[in-house]
Amino acid sequence: MRFTFTEEQNKFRQEVRDFLQAELKAGTFVPKSGGLAEGNNPEFSKKMAQRGWIGLTWPQKYGGQGRNYVEKAILVEELFKVQAPVGYHFLGDRQIGPSIIHFGSEWQKEYFLPRFVKADENMRFCLLFSEPNAGSDLVNVATTATKEGDFYILRGQKVWTSGGHQADYGWLLARTKIDSSVPRHESCSQFIVDMKAPGVTVRPIVNMVGYHTFNEVFLDEVKIDRKFMVGQENDAFKQLMAQMDYERAGMERLLQNYPVYEKLINYVKEMGKTRKGDPFYNWVKDSVAQLEIEFNIGRLLCYYTAWTIDMGRKPTSEAALTKAYCNQYEQRLSDIATKVLGPASQIREGRPWGLYGGEIADCYLWSPSYSLQGGSVEVLKNIVALRRLDLPRK
Amino acid sequence: MEFSLSEETKMLQSSAEKFCKEKSPSSFVKNMIKDEKGFSAAHWKEMAELGWLGLIYDEKYGGSSGSFFDLFILFEEIGKTQLPSPFLCSAVFAGQLINEDGDENLKKAYLSAVIKGEKILTIGLRNEQGQYDHAAPALEAIETGGGFYAIKGTRILVPYAHVADEVTVCANLKGAKGSGSTLLKVAGKAPGLKKTLLNTLTGEKTFGVVFEDVKVSEKDLVGAIGKGTTYVDKVLPKVITLKCGEMVGGLSKVLNMTVDYVKQRIQFGRPLGALQVVQHYCADIATFLDTSRLIAYQAASLIDIGFPCTKEVAMAKAWCSDAYKKSTQIAQQLHGGIGFTEEHDLHLYYKHAKVSELDLGDSWSHRQKVAEEMGF
Repeated sequence: MRFTFTEEQNKFRQEVRDFLQAELKAGTFVPKSGGLAEGNNPEFSKKMAQRGWIGLTWPQKYGGQGRNYVEKAILVEELFKVQAPVGYHFLGDRQIGPSIIHFGSEWQKEYFLPRFVKADENMRFCLLFSEPNAGSDLVNVATTATKEGDFYILRGQKVWTSGGHQADYGWLLARTKIDSSVPRHESCSQFIVDMKAPGVTVRPIVNMVGYHTFNEVFLDEVKIDRKFMVGQENDAFKQLMAQMDYERAGMERLLQNYPVYEKLINYVKEMGKTRKGDPFYNWVKDSVAQLEIEFNIGRLLCYYTAWTIDMGRKPTSEAALTKAYCNQYEQRLSDIATKVLGPASQIREGRPWGLYGGEIADCYLWSPSYSLQGGSVEVLKNIVALRRLDLPRK
Repeated sequence: MEFSLSEETKMLQSSAEKFCKEKSPSSFVKNMIKDEKGFSAAHWKEMAELGWLGLIYDEKYGGSSGSFFDLFILFEEIGKTQLPSPFLCSAVFAGQLINEDGDENLKKAYLSAVIKGEKILTIGLRNEQGQYDHAAPALEAIETGGGFYAIKGTRILVPYAHVADEVTVCANLKGAKGSGSTLLKVAGKAPGLKKTLLNTLTGEKTFGVVFEDVKVSEKDLVGAIGKGTTYVDKVLPKVITLKCGEMVGGLSKVLNMTVDYVKQRIQFGRPLGALQVVQHYCADIATFLDTSRLIAYQAASLIDIGFPCTKEVAMAKAWCSDAYKKSTQIAQQLHGGIGFTEEHDLHLYYKHAKVSELDLGDSWSHRQKVAEEMGF
């Protein structure tokens, strides 16, 4: 049991910090919460690639660094503390790459992995999972992939596709067996789809924050070569569960609003200079101390989950528990922050009397999405109950 | 960051688990509530022989210079079965005050007897409201001349005072050689010491102790005059962290009991545990357990390596207090009527959670400490 970092890990953290400080100084980006949604910066990704920070945990034979997930958590912690613009490579690094490593063909490994690691052009991915009638009930996907010779023909509709309008490829879940006698979760496969292929239409959806980050994607007779199918046919859900672990396991689930948290702490320190003893300040102290405890615990959970992966264990229930916990922390953060800062915190970007460029207001608006994306808190609690506690399904 | 237990720690953990399970089934714990003494002398002797009481003390006093983290693991196991004994008040709290602050003669005279379990010490640091008041003790020690002092005042929630050879108190001392918050030890049978058994939530043997001009001498001082607050504050983080260990142990038992119960209880033609609302409650308890364990292990581990950890200890107590209590509340709800009976074991934990929350600073007071550490 060791709750400190090794000298080597501290050195690595410092290296990442130095790089980010230099980039901040150079004006490459500003630390604003919600950066992942907007931070599509291929040049920045290229710089990270040059340092070996994309594919950090991947095997060296695929261009990775073969380092462990605790180190990866250190990297992600530093990146997200300043909301570095990692959007271009993030999905490929976090889950597409690892999925290809686990389940992909030799051709897929040789083609995609080195390009991810180098942050090559045209390598941004999006996820084509959810559908109008397949949200939390993902096995209900209706999009079909019909085999025709060496090709598959895709027909269907996807929704909530984050970054679909910027992506070069989509990672698709589709039904490959239409047979009601086969269990629904044994009749789907995964594919890589070129988003510029004929028949792919991307339509924007503006979210309640006012941003266009996710989309509807229509697949109308899209023809793809069979070499773009990932893993075994009809084996998607087994593969998907493993991929979801990576999607849920990361430190980013705790840190999407870290700049808001940092500003809140500084604000409260300043407030203490004039309002010590004020009953409101006593409430503020108590509330923000509670957030600090929750934040620290969330951080430990993230490192614990990373360590679980390093131990060679599947982190399914750990990742689910961690994500559910961190999502709820982030939602409380946005709520507490608006109350501490008061009514002016509702004024949004670009108007006088607003606070922190409207960041707190945005953060509050973003927050309902945290406990929905990547598995709702309820779905995650189901996983903890069924897999960890072994509670009965029926 | 490394979350595995060492082989030695695992061995200690499994032997402690076995000991607690064998010696302290719930029937025994319930008997001890009615028992006059409140714990088993035979267990106490065995705990000393196993080296538990001396685990973190220097070998020259008969200890084994072991790690504080291992001691934490012992308390986690103790918490699972609620094994009653004066371990925490005698061999940790009072013993550590002497170990940290007493002079060599005092240590030699006391520690080996405490470690062997031959001497039982207890702690009287809580005022009539039950608060630790060592920073400004309501208890007074007035010099009566010739190096003697008269202690006057009241301490409550003094555990195991009925069997304690000595009570360590922190009194506001006034005398020619100095004044202020000062640690003193008082013989358990000293004239003028009046003990009243309290009937608390857990039924643990704890007392109100009234000091009516109890006579002590300079020889009874523990450490320097006026330094009481400093000494107590030095030892408190250890006691608080071990209390967190007890709470984590209790919480893990609550999770197991609850999950077992909802798996076998059939309602609506299926196990309760198949209902999603019940599953989510259970997942919440599991989350309380994992988070409490991590934050408490962190405090124990940092104390073990001598890392400054005022904030981490406060975070652990604040979180564990709430998490354990909320978990027992959920568990009561999921157990239904059976959990509300005396016959069932759940109430042991429901009570322990509340008493642990109120002891050594509740979650609010520890959050205040966290806020201070954050510069608020």
